[in-house]
Amino acid sequence: MKLYQVVLKDILRRKRRVMYAILGVVIGTMTVVSILTVSAAGQARITNQLEKYGANLSVMPAVKTIDTGLGDLSLGTVNLGDNYIAEDKLPLMRQITDAKIREYLKDVPEGNIATVAPKLFVNSEIKGATVVAVGIDPQEQFKVNTWWQVNKGDYLGSADHALLGSMAAASLKLNVGDTIQLNGRTLTVAGILADTGAGDDYQIFVPLATLQEAFSKQGLVSSVDIRALCNGCPVEIIAGAINENISGVRAVAVKQIANSEMGMLEKINKFMLALAGVSLVVGGFGVFNTLLTSINERLKDIGIMRAVGASRGQIIKALIYEAIVLGIAGGLLGYGAGTLLAYAIGPLIFEGTTVSFVARYLPLSIAIAMSIALLATLYPAMRATRVKVADSFRSL
Amino acid sequence: MLEISGVTKIYGSGETRVVALNDVSFKVNEGDYIAIMGPSGSGKSTLLNVIGGLDRLTSGKVILDGQRIDNLDENKLVDIRRGKIAYVFQQYHLLRSLTALENVLLPVTFSGSNGKHARAMELLERMGLGKRANHRPDQLSGGEQQRVAIARALINNPLLTLADEPTGNMDQKNGKELLDIFEQFNREGRSIVMVTHNREAAARAKEIIILRDGQIAERLKQ
Repeated sequence: MKLYQVVLKDILRRKRRVMYAILGVVIGTMTVVSILTVSAAGQARITNQLEKYGANLSVMPAVKTIDTGLGDLSLGTVNLGDNYIAEDKLPLMRQITDAKIREYLKDVPEGNIATVAPKLFVNSEIKGATVVAVGIDPQEQFKVNTWWQVNKGDYLGSADHALLGSMAAASLKLNVGDTIQLNGRTLTVAGILADTGAGDDYQIFVPLATLQEAFSKQGLVSSVDIRALCNGCPVEIIAGAINENISGVRAVAVKQIANSEMGMLEKINKFMLALAGVSLVVGGFGVFNTLLTSINERLKDIGIMRAVGASRGQIIKALIYEAIVLGIAGGLLGYGAGTLLAYAIGPLIFEGTTVSFVARYLPLSIAIAMSIALLATLYPAMRATRVKVADSFRSL
Repeated sequence: MLEISGVTKIYGSGETRVVALNDVSFKVNEGDYIAIMGPSGSGKSTLLNVIGGLDRLTSGKVILDGQRIDNLDENKLVDIRRGKIAYVFQQYHLLRSLTALENVLLPVTFSGSNGKHARAMELLERMGLGKRANHRPDQLSGGEQQRVAIARALINNPLLTLADEPTGNMDQKNGKELLDIFEQFNREGRSIVMVTHNREAAARAKEIIILRDGQIAERLKQ
């Protein structure tokens, strides 16, 4: 008969008592797991929302802007330099961006990572009104402007298609299927975008090559939106690398919004973790108390074992075995209960969140439970073995 | 084999000072069967605890097999308890979660010697408990529990068995059975020191030491 068997038999006899101790461990780990799970769900939601902000890098032609003015009186700005970016610089931009992302994130799949969406802006006249026509790469632009929804008709499908912003469609009284003349080229309105509340509403979108041809701007784009498909990607570093390696362009990181939102979440996370820490301490104290009582109640049994030849080390080992059982059981149950709790309260804390269980919190939960159980066992165990055997019998 | 000289045990201090043992000296030789008697509070149980290292003494010496054991640290005492000295208690002190057989094997769990299963069964059978081996203490009578405790004491073949009021919780019939077992083991050469306040029990021993106020008042050889 091995020592652990003696311990297991004892645990089976004292089922109810042991359950109380496990309950204490469960309360501690459950709180931590539920807080972490809710927090992860919140993070996922915010991350998800952040992705809707679209591009996180914007590349413009490197124009010098000079303020003109007399004293404090501003007379506006004057732009110097080229107003366009050569289209043949796009592959290099993609290459630099992908390389930097690969440097930053270790295991990313082969192939293109970043979305590089060039844009050409041209002022044009349709039905006598001035509109901004925007030449885009349909696929890439749709990935960047994740908020785009085609309200009527279809998205850009062929070279002579046009996509209209909602306000542009309304003010020009155009509908799906109508044709428009754009600098002598005939285009069909393929679709109309839903309201975006942004400048998009007033613009019309056509395939880049079509617009370049129509206005003889072959090989030229006005700006490039780059979306590094990851959160926390080093956009400033990417911007720096583009500025350094490609002349005539100026890349700017648009990360401010993301930063502040993430900062907010970090604060929430810190607060939640502090809360979890407090509940751990409280839970741990409860477990400590339960175990102190439980071990004191068994002073006689401990005395018996010592009287028949158990060393102090063996007694402590036996109690540690028990703590391991408490830790595993408490960790498993705490993970289960914490996850269920997260499913229940998650949607109340982060509205509209779908909570999903986080598998890697299971080993974490067991580790926490094990630590609580072991820490709470150690002192009573040491104390119990210091009692003289004769006294442990006398105490009852 | 066991030499006790000038053993004194004092509990508390000042007003609450109690002298439990006062300069007690005697020897136990191999094959001895000694009963220690005396009224309650005379220090009998304290003496037994002190001999076996379950309690510390205030002054004096306990020498077992040529080795001084009263000043041993806990780890060395463990070695003494694993084979040299074994106990039988008035309250049996069996572990409730283990069966009779498992209780008998408990000392082996700690001392690490293997293959004692057959010996444990043999001891239980000698105690007339062969069929009760898989019962738990709460399914056994007091007499049966005490016999399990004796089997447990003997599993590691101790030099000396210390029994503290072994018949104290038993009726006459069970008590007599138990004393028969002790006598039989003594005849096989085992040394026993038994504390009792029962005259009939003491009468079965080879020698009786009567304690009064922590001192040896009388020694009777029989």
